[in-house]
Amino acid sequence: MRVLLSTFGLDDVDKVLCAMRALPYDQLVLIGPGSIQESDGYRRLCNLEEMSGHSVEIELIEGTEFMVLVDEISEAIERRMGGRSRGSNGHILMNISGGEKLLGDAALFAAFRMGVEAYHCDKIVTKLPVLRGATTKDMFTPSQSEMILGIGDGPQELERAYSFAGSVSRQAAERVIRELKRGGLMRSEAREGKIFVELTATGLEVLRGLRITGAGAGHGQ
Amino acid sequence: MVVVFGTLGYRPKSLIPTIRSTANVDKVVFYCGADKSEPNAVKSVAAAKKEVLDYCNGMHLSVDAVELEDPFDFKNIAMRIRSDIRKHKREKKEIAIFNIAGGTRPTSAAALLVCILEGIPTVYVHDVNYEEIHLPLLRIEYANVLSKEEKEILRFLINNRTKDMTEKELADSLGKHKATMNHHLKNLVADGVVRLERHPQDQRKKVVRLEESAELLLGEEP
Repeated sequence: MRVLLSTFGLDDVDKVLCAMRALPYDQLVLIGPGSIQESDGYRRLCNLEEMSGHSVEIELIEGTEFMVLVDEISEAIERRMGGRSRGSNGHILMNISGGEKLLGDAALFAAFRMGVEAYHCDKIVTKLPVLRGATTKDMFTPSQSEMILGIGDGPQELERAYSFAGSVSRQAAERVIRELKRGGLMRSEAREGKIFVELTATGLEVLRGLRITGAGAGHGQ
Repeated sequence: MVVVFGTLGYRPKSLIPTIRSTANVDKVVFYCGADKSEPNAVKSVAAAKKEVLDYCNGMHLSVDAVELEDPFDFKNIAMRIRSDIRKHKREKKEIAIFNIAGGTRPTSAAALLVCILEGIPTVYVHDVNYEEIHLPLLRIEYANVLSKEEKEILRFLINNRTKDMTEKELADSLGKHKATMNHHLKNLVADGVVRLERHPQDQRKKVVRLEESAELLLGEEP
């Protein structure tokens, strides 16, 4: 089944209609706040879908902060997603043009994170440069992903962190830590005579992406 | 030289806090534009632009105010911003931050897209209290995902976008075996970067077409 996910606000029927005309789909899913269910636009879309023997589904988004919205939209995508490997998410399409600016931007970010084919549908339909199925985990080597997942949300002692890079030598684990630091994903600091490492804000975003796209299965998160 | 980039709509206060909070800033580049059929929008954007220009002049900062021809044309805005970012990078200027809070929705989204593709630190400004919210963006570097051969094929297609090339012609042009080319094209089709269409003159053949997003994906200058 081809699912069209579209961000939606109260006055955005035309943008959703543009996406419905331009993109092939079987199921329309609107992403937006609860208030959209009371809108004339929503009723109009429901009527149109009923005419074709379908219904409109809604993914309610309640967050008001950017990263909370990104997480909520990513989870909505995840619920509709089948396979996860590169090139396998051809059944999900995302239109990011509807709703508040913050919602559209968060949807764009989530589309990149999840590797979902995405479009900006307004007067012109623009396909966004997302590689279908390429997710956060494709941007890192297995050792780097293991290290990020191992460190997790809180600081870890450096000596312990070496073991997170999987079954590689200490030298290789040191290299992984250097690479992540150089990439701005990890930092270290000395406390009470010990060195601790932790993820930066960007590192934590990668961690969320790895967990959501299923790369964290072995870490119980 | 430290440069602050931004998008601007009706509210100068969505951009000025970022200029204030950036250390050693030398230059500001901002993008604005309004729907020309709406006089009030044109007036409001012009007033906001003047206020930011006045602020920058008062602070003795160099400033580029880029008036967008069509602030709703997502792709062209993204191409323009990416080209400017790359020009500044080539000139070894430090792009400290990109404030994507202002402007039309397509302008803000296009700016965010470029920040993701180019790895530029990005900030939003809260609508009510004008507090800055830094976004933990990860640079999406597709160089690690596409193979060398796939990138070579995409570059070739971008440079020859006006030609109707079949799979065999593409293989011959790049000196590859047809079966090898078929393998790479299958991957690129699955990724959603290229598509195969019937040849306009010969229905038996298929032409390899680039998706319009491929240009943004590779970041090639037109």
